[in-house]
Amino acid sequence: MKSTLLRASRVLNALSTAALWIAGIGLVTMTLIVAYQVFTRYVLNASPPWTEAASIMIMSWFIFLGAAVGVRENFHMGFDVLIYVLPPGAKPWLRAVTDLAIFAFAFGMAYYGGELALRYWTTRIPVLGIPTTFTYLPIVLAGVLMCLFSLERLLLRMAGENVDEPATDDVVTAD
Amino acid sequence: MEYWILFGVFTALMLVGTPIAFCLGIASFATIVYIGRPAIVVFQQLNSGVSVFTLMAVPFFIFAGDLMVRGGIAARIIQFAGSLIGHVRGGLGQVNVAASTLFGGISGSAVAEAAAVGGIMIPQMKARGYGADYAVNVTSMAALIALLLPPSHNMIIYSLSGGGRISIADLFTAGIIPGLLLALALSVTAYVVAVKRGYPTEPFPGFGKALQYFLISIPGLLLIGIIFGGVRSGIFTATESSCIAVIYAFLVTLLIYRSMSWRAFVHCVTGAVRTTAMVLFIIGAAASFGWLMAYLRVAPLLTEAIGQLTQDPLMVLLLINVLLLVLGTFMDMGPLIVITTPIFLPMVQSFGVDPVHFGVIMILNLGIGLNTPPLGPVQFVAAAVGKISVMEAMRSVWPFYFAGLAVLGLVTYIPALSLWLPALFRG
Repeated sequence: MKSTLLRASRVLNALSTAALWIAGIGLVTMTLIVAYQVFTRYVLNASPPWTEAASIMIMSWFIFLGAAVGVRENFHMGFDVLIYVLPPGAKPWLRAVTDLAIFAFAFGMAYYGGELALRYWTTRIPVLGIPTTFTYLPIVLAGVLMCLFSLERLLLRMAGENVDEPATDDVVTAD
Repeated sequence: MEYWILFGVFTALMLVGTPIAFCLGIASFATIVYIGRPAIVVFQQLNSGVSVFTLMAVPFFIFAGDLMVRGGIAARIIQFAGSLIGHVRGGLGQVNVAASTLFGGISGSAVAEAAAVGGIMIPQMKARGYGADYAVNVTSMAALIALLLPPSHNMIIYSLSGGGRISIADLFTAGIIPGLLLALALSVTAYVVAVKRGYPTEPFPGFGKALQYFLISIPGLLLIGIIFGGVRSGIFTATESSCIAVIYAFLVTLLIYRSMSWRAFVHCVTGAVRTTAMVLFIIGAAASFGWLMAYLRVAPLLTEAIGQLTQDPLMVLLLINVLLLVLGTFMDMGPLIVITTPIFLPMVQSFGVDPVHFGVIMILNLGIGLNTPPLGPVQFVAAAVGKISVMEAMRSVWPFYFAGLAVLGLVTYIPALSLWLPALFRG
């Protein structure tokens, strides 16, 4: 059981890394598109109509993929005061409730996002000309990933793995 | 009842430790189901909440900040600041404040600033006999200057949370005098504490050396003009100038300083993705929460309740300041701006407070919260760099807190500190 879990965990790790890379490529692409927009507007005096819509679309992709990575790497910001106050034995239970909450909302993202994606298959995004479905796909994708990642943590915790230690890395986070 | 569901579910989940974005999303979902509206709206707004062109400035400024820290722009600015004022008593404390001010003019993130300036200054200060607690406290408080000086991405978040009608150029301009005032207050405090503790001075390296360091740091310092000048003059939007900042920082570190490696670049990109995904996911989740607060008329009801307590705008601002300080110790800046702006802004506006002025108050107030446990990300970073515990830093942080609170008081009660400069620029 546990070895299956750990094997699945390796697959999920690869998925998370892939999502992070795609999001990173998205950020760089978005930078280039907006830079191109600035260049054409000020230097060539005629900016193409698609840049704004395209960069917004890319932004929503990398935000939601990045947010899914955040569920696995546990970098979403929360308010941990109860965990400090209660005896240490309560921590895994509180964390399990959180994972369930994340799973529930992520399920909603996948389900309702999927409904939106299907509903808007026939309408087109102005200028870009692709189906509006693409606007909602990142929510679906991120929802599915978040479901997997929160489930992973729930199961690993039940199997006795230590999944609640704060991740320590040198990543500079927001304020 | 719907109020209890909205705020009850939110508070309950938050106490459990659920990340704020999910607290917001689930609370909205529960409330929307209760009032009988289609739940799909929550997820539609999750997307529409972040599909805003102005919001793009947030990832860009964060990305640019990462590039400047890892690419050595920050280090050169610190070196320049050191050559200027290292010879004052407790010189390295002064250098720390000055470097934070200069670097704050091109980066808007207090955490990035604490990591950048602290990473270089704290080890030097310790080696020269300064107490680690002093080094950490100067660093963490001076990092807040970055929040007030342009480009502050938190001000962009504030502008959008306030309905998107508050001018970003005005907000950027309004933060300048309060930011410099904070720098002044901290530099005086650092001086007094340094004299008391008998900290050394640094030899003046000579004008030649100072000039040389200045020339080396010019490419970085030019960004101040590009960002502020671009946004203020209206030539560029905030989003465009933030994008230019990314490209510029990348080119300078790659071609002029030659300090940007592929590895460092990947680190910057993934770091910026993590930070922005976290901040903007909260903004998306808050979209339906904000919509519900407007639908349930939370702000007008609260304004009415406060109006029965007091009619004095100064009193209202005091109440809000205390409330934000308390909330700020427990919660991070971004989520608090997103959640509380739609409540507090209409309230203070009905008492005649200017939204630009209130933005500066809020940013400074919540900034101080970034330096208070249990959730003080800036303090954590500085303490980690200084290799001391947050509690050790807390023991001697009081003079610096006091300086910060004094500036907050001044900024709150003298609106001209925030509003004079934007009015001047508008002509």
